[in-house]
Amino acid sequence: MHDAATLDAAHWGGGVSPFGATWQKTMMWIFIVTDGLLFAGLLCGYAFLRMSSHTDWPHQAEVFSIPFIALMTFILITSSATMGCAVTAAQRNDRAAATRFLLFTIVGGLAFLGCQAYEWTHFIHDGARLTTNPWGAPQFGASFFVLTGFHGSHVLSGVTILIITAVRSAMGRTPAQNVEMAGLYWHFVDLVWVFIFTLFYLL
Amino acid sequence: MSDASHGENPYRIYWVSWFILLLITVAMLGAEAVGLPRWFAVPFLLAFMMVKAVMISGNFMHLRFEHRRMWWMVGVGLIATSLILFVFLVPETYNVSTRSAP
Repeated sequence: MHDAATLDAAHWGGGVSPFGATWQKTMMWIFIVTDGLLFAGLLCGYAFLRMSSHTDWPHQAEVFSIPFIALMTFILITSSATMGCAVTAAQRNDRAAATRFLLFTIVGGLAFLGCQAYEWTHFIHDGARLTTNPWGAPQFGASFFVLTGFHGSHVLSGVTILIITAVRSAMGRTPAQNVEMAGLYWHFVDLVWVFIFTLFYLL
Repeated sequence: MSDASHGENPYRIYWVSWFILLLITVAMLGAEAVGLPRWFAVPFLLAFMMVKAVMISGNFMHLRFEHRRMWWMVGVGLIATSLILFVFLVPETYNVSTRSAP
């Protein structure tokens, strides 16, 4: 019996590091998966609304400026690259470079939020609301506000986290691991945008 | 010591990934602009979307350097659950869309 219990513990106990990572990184990934499921639910809900719509779904290119959305995508991808550089710089104990790359990432995040505010303003000015819009299926407006709104709130949270991390990094009070955790969250925000960009704006 | 001590740019992977992501995005925008037939455009855009997702999670989030169990947790947790959700929703979509409009 004792041997069986020992065997079970060896197989299922997980040890101190079942994912071969620190508990901070493991918990961050678990959070990312659960937060990703939130967006998966929202995107599936969007697919449901679109496929079950009785009226024609508006053609995105006639509603949005696709080059402007492309610019937003460019900004977010670039900020992800600078975030990756910040993580590497922090791991190499290059505090000045880490802070500099964090600042670039923050600027990218703020620029993205500015673009989103501009896009929302235009959309609302053109008559779009949560339940109605001038282009056709009423669910279109709701899908837009919910998907981009949830994503934008994540970008805002990410920028806040990055500002705190940059200030602490400049003061030498942030270990490299904290920069990496902030980076994981920021890349997740970029990852979600890849899906929203394709499924909502292009398809 | 680090890779830089051997003369290699430690940030190279991020900028190479950035450039490839940019090229993919341009290709997706081009596909949308030229108005490819729907039967081709949908799988084309979805495939490129997945390539971008794998590149971001693998290179930017360093998932490809993590333990295999981490891959499984993310893969099963996100992709499989999303697919199950979508597959269960599709038949209901058909029921709703074939019902007469109010």
